[in-house]
Amino acid sequence: MARAKQGYVIRFSVRQRCEHLLIMVLFIMLALTGFPQKFYEMGWAQWLIPHLGGIDRVRWLHRLSGILFTLIALLHFGVVLSLAVMKRIELNMVPTKKDFRDAIITLRYYLGFSEEQARFERYDYRQKFEYWGLVLGGNLMIVTGFILYFPTFWTGFLPGEVIPAANVAHSSEGLLAFLVVIIWHIYNAHLNPDVFPFDASIFTGSISEERVEKEHPVEYARLIAKQKELPAEKEVGEKLTQKAKEGETTIKEEKAESSSRKDDSG
Amino acid sequence: MTMDAEKHRPVGWLAGALVGALFLLLPAILPAAESVSPEVQFCLSCHSNKTLELVLKSGEKRSLYVDVDSFARSVHGDKLRCTDCHGDISTFPHPTRSFKNLREFTLAYYESCKGCHFDNYTKSLDGVHYSILSKGDLRAPLCVDCHGAHDVARPGVPKSRISRTCSRCHQEVYRQYAGSVHGKVLLQDGNVDAPVCADCHRSHDIVDPRTASFRLRTPELCARCHTDEKLMKKYGLSTKVLQTYLRDFHGMTSSFHKSEQIPRSAVTAVCTDCHGVHDILAVKDPRSAVMKVNLVKVCRKCHPNATENFPAAWLSHYEPSPDKAPLVYYVKLFYQIFIPFVILGLLLQILLHVWRVVVNR
Repeated sequence: MARAKQGYVIRFSVRQRCEHLLIMVLFIMLALTGFPQKFYEMGWAQWLIPHLGGIDRVRWLHRLSGILFTLIALLHFGVVLSLAVMKRIELNMVPTKKDFRDAIITLRYYLGFSEEQARFERYDYRQKFEYWGLVLGGNLMIVTGFILYFPTFWTGFLPGEVIPAANVAHSSEGLLAFLVVIIWHIYNAHLNPDVFPFDASIFTGSISEERVEKEHPVEYARLIAKQKELPAEKEVGEKLTQKAKEGETTIKEEKAESSSRKDDSG
Repeated sequence: MTMDAEKHRPVGWLAGALVGALFLLLPAILPAAESVSPEVQFCLSCHSNKTLELVLKSGEKRSLYVDVDSFARSVHGDKLRCTDCHGDISTFPHPTRSFKNLREFTLAYYESCKGCHFDNYTKSLDGVHYSILSKGDLRAPLCVDCHGAHDVARPGVPKSRISRTCSRCHQEVYRQYAGSVHGKVLLQDGNVDAPVCADCHRSHDIVDPRTASFRLRTPELCARCHTDEKLMKKYGLSTKVLQTYLRDFHGMTSSFHKSEQIPRSAVTAVCTDCHGVHDILAVKDPRSAVMKVNLVKVCRKCHPNATENFPAAWLSHYEPSPDKAPLVYYVKLFYQIFIPFVILGLLLQILLHVWRVVVNR
């Protein structure tokens, strides 16, 4: 397990960081090769498509990126589900009632109706919204994308109208995903005054302790509490002994360990 | 309108009177040739002889008879003199010229027309007929093969004459055309709204229709009439055929391939691939290739594994509506509501957050 800098805890495993990076690159590729097809009558699309090597090349790139996107999605679900079955991770991305309460508390706070701020767990409701938005939207894109890829196969057992319907769904969902990323994700990862100019944790894999305390106080409290119990647990005892040599960092390392182990999916 | 050429010459009163007298006398001398110039009359003194002919080296005989009536009725009858075209024959006896065969004889006068019709002559150099001529195929039509020589008439009077002219060589195509929706209304009903060969293929700069570039220009070609509101209203036809085609996969592909100008192995359907070309039928005709019961056969030309459900993937130029393609219509409607709902919601939360941050400071 990677080791965090002093004052930081490990937030995302190497697998999660790779997933984010790949999905990011593929998302850009898919948008770049998809939107000129959706808006092909526009001047910029008429310019872009020849510059990307023509419509046939653009479609080829789009399909290739789509296949890679599908593979990453399948790998992600496979890994997460098997880790969950083996009880190696907690499924802490699953929405709970608390998330809805948190959303209401946050909106009341934003509107100035109350000074109470929601106390978040490892993932707050906004992060869960983005994750599930990507999962649901991504799956819809995968299904409709493959319907459009092999229309003769699908119409073997589905009505023909499914093809143009899949076309509308694919292009509209793509637009929605793009707008959500441009508006919501870019705000939360870059423009949000709390993280401006750049929340790098998904790339570096670590997050500062202060941010955990401030942004995920419930998790923070749980980590502190767990840490006090930990030395009693035999299985992690060895690791702790080893880490104890590094003095002060022990506590943080342990936090990092437990936090990255608890990861589900992100 | 007689004797145009003379009009420009400074003639004295006497000369004018003499010419006038000759003009008045002419009908009596040659009743059929009242409207041709005296110079033409002079040539006709020999060339009105029906037995006048030239024996070519090949043994073929070329009649040198000129039917003065048909020349007089031709568009050139009151405008041209013989030597305007036969500029090499201005003296008598004529200079000796030898021709191997009839075709060579015709080719010898091929460039006569360009002196006046330079634009059409130049256009024809870009045409497929000239292209095969330049490759040595002497069967390629020259001006006179379509327009006639001494009997040149307005090519489009009546309009069906154009298609009949082409039919002299393109018989099979003409047979198909005559049975098509376009051919039928023109040839049988005399409806001049219907296109003739030249409306699609042009007349002088005829592009080889087997080329990819001509194929990809098909939608714009058909659209010239089929997006004309006034014209289509007359026949109860939709003008959205082009727009709905271009928005679909095939139309989008063909329009990009056209602008890319790259020869491609990949082909995409244009109007004629589904509707037929010269044998195109009304979509209501039960024999029409695009009739619902026949459509799957058309799809299978390119999609060999297409099933009975497959043709419904194409909305037949309809825009999605609750009646036509309800599934597509409601998916579209859903996103028209859902996208603004989500995005406005997220924007609102961002603005509230920013506002709160500002207030906290």
